[in-house]
Amino acid sequence: MVTPTNIDDWIKNNLFHVIPMAIAVINQNFEIVFANKTFEKMFGRWEKKKCHVVYKNKDVHCVDCKGVKVFKDGVARVSEELGYNKQDRITHYLQHTIPVIDENGDIPFLVEMSLDITETAQIRKEYQLLFDQVPCSILLIDRNFRIVKTNQKVENTFGNIIGQNCYVALKGYDTECQECTSGQTFRDGKMHSGNHVWKTRSGKRREFLVSTVPLRHEDGHFDLVMEVAIDISQTLKLEDDLKIANSFMESLIATSIDGIIAVDMGEEVTIFNQAARKIFQIEDHEKITKEKLASMLPKNFLAQVSAGLGHVYLPETEVITMEGGKIPVRLAGVQIQIKGKQSGMAISIQNLSEIRRLEHEKLEAERLAAVGQTVAGLAHGVKNLITGLEGGMYMLNSGIEKGKTDRIGQGMEMLNRNIHRVSTFVQEFLSFSKGRKIKAENCDPVQTADEVVTMYSAKANESGIKLLHEYDSYIAPACIDSESMHECLTNLVGNAIDACRMSDNKNGKNVLLKTFEKDNAIIYEVIDDGCGMDYEIKNRVFTNFFTTKGLGGTGLGLLITRKIIQEHGGKIELESEPGKGTTFRITLPRNRLPVPTCTEES
Amino acid sequence: MKITLIDDEPDICIYLSTALEDNGYDVTTVDENDSVIQVIQKNQPDLIILDIMMPKRSGISIYRELRSTEMFRKIPILLMSGMSSEKSFLPKGFRRLVNDDNIPLPDGFIEKPIRLPELIKLVHKLKR
Repeated sequence: MVTPTNIDDWIKNNLFHVIPMAIAVINQNFEIVFANKTFEKMFGRWEKKKCHVVYKNKDVHCVDCKGVKVFKDGVARVSEELGYNKQDRITHYLQHTIPVIDENGDIPFLVEMSLDITETAQIRKEYQLLFDQVPCSILLIDRNFRIVKTNQKVENTFGNIIGQNCYVALKGYDTECQECTSGQTFRDGKMHSGNHVWKTRSGKRREFLVSTVPLRHEDGHFDLVMEVAIDISQTLKLEDDLKIANSFMESLIATSIDGIIAVDMGEEVTIFNQAARKIFQIEDHEKITKEKLASMLPKNFLAQVSAGLGHVYLPETEVITMEGGKIPVRLAGVQIQIKGKQSGMAISIQNLSEIRRLEHEKLEAERLAAVGQTVAGLAHGVKNLITGLEGGMYMLNSGIEKGKTDRIGQGMEMLNRNIHRVSTFVQEFLSFSKGRKIKAENCDPVQTADEVVTMYSAKANESGIKLLHEYDSYIAPACIDSESMHECLTNLVGNAIDACRMSDNKNGKNVLLKTFEKDNAIIYEVIDDGCGMDYEIKNRVFTNFFTTKGLGGTGLGLLITRKIIQEHGGKIELESEPGKGTTFRITLPRNRLPVPTCTEES
Repeated sequence: MKITLIDDEPDICIYLSTALEDNGYDVTTVDENDSVIQVIQKNQPDLIILDIMMPKRSGISIYRELRSTEMFRKIPILLMSGMSSEKSFLPKGFRRLVNDDNIPLPDGFIEKPIRLPELIKLVHKLKR
């Protein structure tokens, strides 16, 4: 039992051994002459061993031996040492080297007290590494806003600014900042953050997001604040760019003349701009579901876009409005992919109503002009007929007057013939001016031409004319009125055969019908090497009632042909040279062809 | 007086040649297959009545050749057409059709349907 009287003994015999420090006594030969239990636990057996053998497993003196110095000058020293423990593991220890001075002032012994700090040192090292290597700037600030410590990143960015006031070093100010984040933390002890513009050592101004935390002691009080700062200039710039791009896109979508719609992978319609609302006749506030959208678009359109067919383009189709009306549109759908993953669809819709209306008006105007020409031409045609009738009357009257029977017969014949011509004229004229509505549907352009050639082959053969049909091996079906087109080609091929028959040299004549596609237009060419036409005739071929066939033609054939071609949005041209032949060319651009009159089943 | 009548319509040829013959003129018509120039060369007519719109070769084309050939240049020509009146044909319609300022105007123009007394009067006037 320890009592005040034997406390000295206890200190001498017990405390020495249980104190949590390794204590050894060394003589001038650097031999350990005495050590406590803690020492033995840390470094193992020590009796009659040299200190450097026990501490460091070395047979020779240490280069920087503290003992030598202390023996010499008698000043106690503290040093951090690395040695080996009894398990031969590297041990980091803090060593106090204290001289034992006798009454003569000599130093016979040294007392060395070692504290194992291996773990602490390791942790400290790790923290330092972390402190220096984190990808942000860290500063410790005291209550006078003086920078006490910085990490490597701060030094790299701002230089060595330890000891300066933060507002001077980072901002170039003379006084504290008005909005001081560290100040807030100093005042309330809480964590704060704020944006600050700091000047780097190269003079660049960068925007930092700064967070401040108090570095508290055990008792809760603190004198330092740690500032952690992240350079967000790049992020801010990207954010700004993104905002600009976004608002640009938004105004583009909002003011677009074409309808723009976006849907996500779920059921949401994320974009439905004003133009789209106008096309579909949907009120501003009304919400559109994907299901509703699908019902307004052509069947399976969304499914096709979604199925990964890439760009789905329908140059001419129809959508159904809220009220159930149909609107002609051009539709394009595209799958939106982000990093290879489908994330939605975008659809653009061009309203073709106005274009259609203008096209229709133009065709109507052309038709009216044609009717006007027809009426003007009618007068001319009728004049010829009247002359014929007058001739008949003259023959008849003068025959009766002069008693010439043959002349009476001739007059009767002329009257009959011209009356018949009048009725044929009237019929053709009526059918022309009434204008049969074209019935367009998808058909094979080659087949129509082939039928005409087959129909004329016998007649051509009879006249010794070689009639041929040359055509592209494949032409996609086109929306035309095959019956009307048949009529046009019949007129042209018929004319070509007649031109060959009217030719001075009737031997070895050819008529060639060519059917092909070029620049997205279907082209029919009727080429003959017949009599050809001179300037005056060429200028008048499309004039009503112009005929070069005497009594055989009404002069309406080419006029009707041109009208049909115009109703198909196409044009007809001719090249001709007297004696060499004539080429008529019908050009039908696909994008101007009519829409099907009767929709196909299936 | 010899007249050569050129028109593609047989009925009009019969009508006009008969009517002119009834008025004492000697009329030759041109068959579809004959060469107009050859017929004129053969006939040496005192007057030519020429229809403008005809198959194979238009009246204007024939007119052009006749007026540019020395031996035919002096023969009066009467053009005939149903496509315009005399007022609108001479000289504007004619110039547009001929498209050549060096070709002289025709000696007369008669509009279809033909008023016979007018034709006779005109032919009479052109008789040299």
